[in-house]
Amino acid sequence: MTRFLTALAFATVAHASTVAAQKPATNPHAAVLADFKARVDKYVELRKKADDSAPPLKKTDDPAKIRDAQQALVERIGAARAGTKQGDIFTPEITEHFRRLLHPEMKEAGTKAAMKDDQPKPGTVTFKVNGPYPDKEPLGTVPPNVLASLPPLPKDVDYRFVGKHLILRDVRANMIIDYIPNAIS
Amino acid sequence: MRCHHPVRPLIAIALVVAALAVPAAIDITLPNAKDSLKIAIIGDSGTGDSAQYDVAKQLIASHEKFPYEFVLMMGDNLYGGSAPKDFNKKFETPYKPLLDSGMKFYATLGNHDNPNERMYKSFNMGEKRFYTFKPKGNVRFFSLDSNYMDKPQLEWLEKELAASGSDWKIAFFHHPIYSSGGTHGSDLQLREQLEPLFLKYGVDAVFSGHEHFYERIKPQKGIYYFISGGAGKVRKGDVGKTNLTAKAFDTGYHFMLVEFSKDAMHFQAISDEGKTIDSGTLPRFSDADKKKLSTATE
Repeated sequence: MTRFLTALAFATVAHASTVAAQKPATNPHAAVLADFKARVDKYVELRKKADDSAPPLKKTDDPAKIRDAQQALVERIGAARAGTKQGDIFTPEITEHFRRLLHPEMKEAGTKAAMKDDQPKPGTVTFKVNGPYPDKEPLGTVPPNVLASLPPLPKDVDYRFVGKHLILRDVRANMIIDYIPNAIS
Repeated sequence: MRCHHPVRPLIAIALVVAALAVPAAIDITLPNAKDSLKIAIIGDSGTGDSAQYDVAKQLIASHEKFPYEFVLMMGDNLYGGSAPKDFNKKFETPYKPLLDSGMKFYATLGNHDNPNERMYKSFNMGEKRFYTFKPKGNVRFFSLDSNYMDKPQLEWLEKELAASGSDWKIAFFHHPIYSSGGTHGSDLQLREQLEPLFLKYGVDAVFSGHEHFYERIKPQKGIYYFISGGAGKVRKGDVGKTNLTAKAFDTGYHFMLVEFSKDAMHFQAISDEGKTIDSGTLPRFSDADKKKLSTATE
């Protein structure tokens, strides 16, 4: 009886190992990244709808038309995203993952210095979802190595840093979509 | 009821008059050959203050003697906002005589520029953050957005450089990858991404701004680098002592004139007082020379 139970135990372990071996390897962060992509895609879809009803932002020799189109897009996106709050795209899991991705890049020589270069004046950026990025302030440059470490974004959505905080920005609306406070240390 | 500010029209008139005032004659040292491509370069120009207007006067005056076909803008085209009044005061008014004559300006984005400037027709960016154009002859220009060098832009650049054949390849973007500036200095992260592509596809010369001075860098691995970021701002005494500098000027404002012939690039940097601060002729390196130089340490 003991011999039978031992054999059964071995067989069970062997079967479990085989099943584990057959299970495809998964990136533990893939689900988080897929979730981020889905949330950004949803935003882009929403912007597309806002775009359809807004005056087009297209090539013009009249700067007032550029400003008006940008403003109209902000208003339409704001109305469509009413009630959206910080963290709706950068969920706690996504935020944690971004901090992990950014951590090694901050150790690169010169990266921090490059990011400090021409930052907006302290206190000029109001961290508010659907709020504007101040038009009078410079846009901090994002070093290529930092961009390469972060998930890719669709056209006209970009990452920007203000101090230690990461902003997800709508380029055409010049608007804050979401942000991560203290994304870098 | 609309309230008209009595001083504003006077300021506008004063600015236009200032822009049109004739400066002292500029001594052009360039060959000014009949079939060459002639261009002008301004960088970090968009302040809207008197220094920008002084440089603009010299730029306009130089066109009389050196009929450049277009102007490259090195970024920071509009400091402090992109409202219609900013476009007017910091671009349309100072360069009005040129714009009225049909002169084209090709802009690149600086860190002070709203990327929506790409929609402004007179900046000729084709609604794009980065773009390429070939005006005439055998010269092709590549305007890059150095504020945001992401993968799609790098892939685009590689594709366009690969397709550009045997043309002169001239890149221009805001942040210099070689600089002796004390405030900013060389952008090493950007250099890491761009230089291998420049070397692989034989870029001949690179123009940047960001630093508020003029610097001609000694050729680096067979590529000529210029910084021209003083058409509206100057950072006096900011050029540090490095072994990169061939010639620098950080005590006043400036702009550049450049002429491309088949095998040489001629350049002249001119101050807001109309004085020549640097000039010369640089030969175009052959592909074989470029290959040799790309691996040499300088």
